Amino acid sequence: MIEAIKNWKLHILVLIFVIIAEWIGAFSFPIGPGTVVLLPMLYALIMGILSGPKFLRLASQKDMVDAGSLVGVTLMLLMAKYGTTVGPNIPMILRTSPALILQEFGNLGTVIIGVPVAVYLGLKRETIGAAHSIAREPNVALIGDIYGLDTPEGRGVMGVYICGTVFGTIFFGLMATFAAALGIFHPLALAMASGVGSASMMTASVGALSAMFPDMADKIQALGAASNMLTGLDGVYMSLWMALPMTEWLYRKFYRLKYGTQPSQTAAGEA
Amino acid sequence: MKTMEVLAVLIIIGAITLVGNLVGANIPMIDAIPGMIFLIAISIIGVICAKVIPVKIPAVAYVVTIGCIVTIPGFPGATIFNAWAQKVNFLALTTPILAYAGISIGKDLGMLKKTGWRILIVSCIVFIGTYIGSTIIAQLILKLIGEI
Repeated sequence: MIEAIKNWKLHILVLIFVIIAEWIGAFSFPIGPGTVVLLPMLYALIMGILSGPKFLRLASQKDMVDAGSLVGVTLMLLMAKYGTTVGPNIPMILRTSPALILQEFGNLGTVIIGVPVAVYLGLKRETIGAAHSIAREPNVALIGDIYGLDTPEGRGVMGVYICGTVFGTIFFGLMATFAAALGIFHPLALAMASGVGSASMMTASVGALSAMFPDMADKIQALGAASNMLTGLDGVYMSLWMALPMTEWLYRKFYRLKYGTQPSQTAAGEA
Repeated sequence: MKTMEVLAVLIIIGAITLVGNLVGANIPMIDAIPGMIFLIAISIIGVICAKVIPVKIPAVAYVVTIGCIVTIPGFPGATIFNAWAQKVNFLALTTPILAYAGISIGKDLGMLKKTGWRILIVSCIVFIGTYIGSTIIAQLILKLIGEI
């Protein structure tokens, strides 16, 4: 990490991106019944991606590796800020705790719509890894432990993991604004749902929501952070005890629906 | 991960954030400095806790917990701590993080190509699934307990 700290070119590049992004500022436009908000963090992310050797060539391979080694530490300040947001809101969080705890089961929504789509698209055992969760680090570790990462299940979970790493923040930021713009869901419900077990995805969603509903911003951030902590605690057990068995079961059902035969348990390879 | 190295990174990120905090949220640096020092202090205490306490809990968990405890209404100094922290805009903190993350994503783009379009579609579907699934339950329960 000492190498990355001394990489002043990287820090100056980030400083320039931050100044440009903040200078542009939040940009909102009406869509349907609501408003979609684009935030400086989104511009900074895109500028960062575009700075790589494939595009603008501002950042070298070394800069990318250095940046990657720093991301974990950069999240610390945000986590401290989340803590200070949760503290003053503890009474509200305790009051809403039944919703906070039960919405954790909503994470099984990945299985319910993920498995049919994956089987329909022709994925075989990859489905198990890909659809059982949103494939953050603990889920990857779990699949690696049970099936191995060199298996179809492992390829499935790694595929979603990589997609989440690359597009996750953009996707969650936009999804939150669209879901809020629909006007059917309350911002606090959306805030609770934002805690999916990834600090960056949660932040993208919570950031977009707090820009859309500034008068509820601190409540939104506190609930998002609390829900994310909860998912961090229960995520692996939820996957192991509920999501994986459900995924296996639904996979067999939809496999038979599509191919007319039972999937062979061992035969993995294809595609 | 040495504590001094973490401190160095936090100071760099803190300085960049203060600039963004000025440009984006119009909060003068001098006003936001106590809050930034406060957040850096919480982070460092969290990192030290993770090192010293033998139970295997990640540093971020300590950081969130400490930040939460010291700002709970009634904790000595909570009002001042809270006022400091408020001067550091939440969104201003996210911008530098995503700039670093964006730069580092460049190296994963090659791997993404190998993943295939079907997994990409399934990824979008699972993200939507968890989000909408949790939202619907949260909405129902919040209605039920009369919070919204």
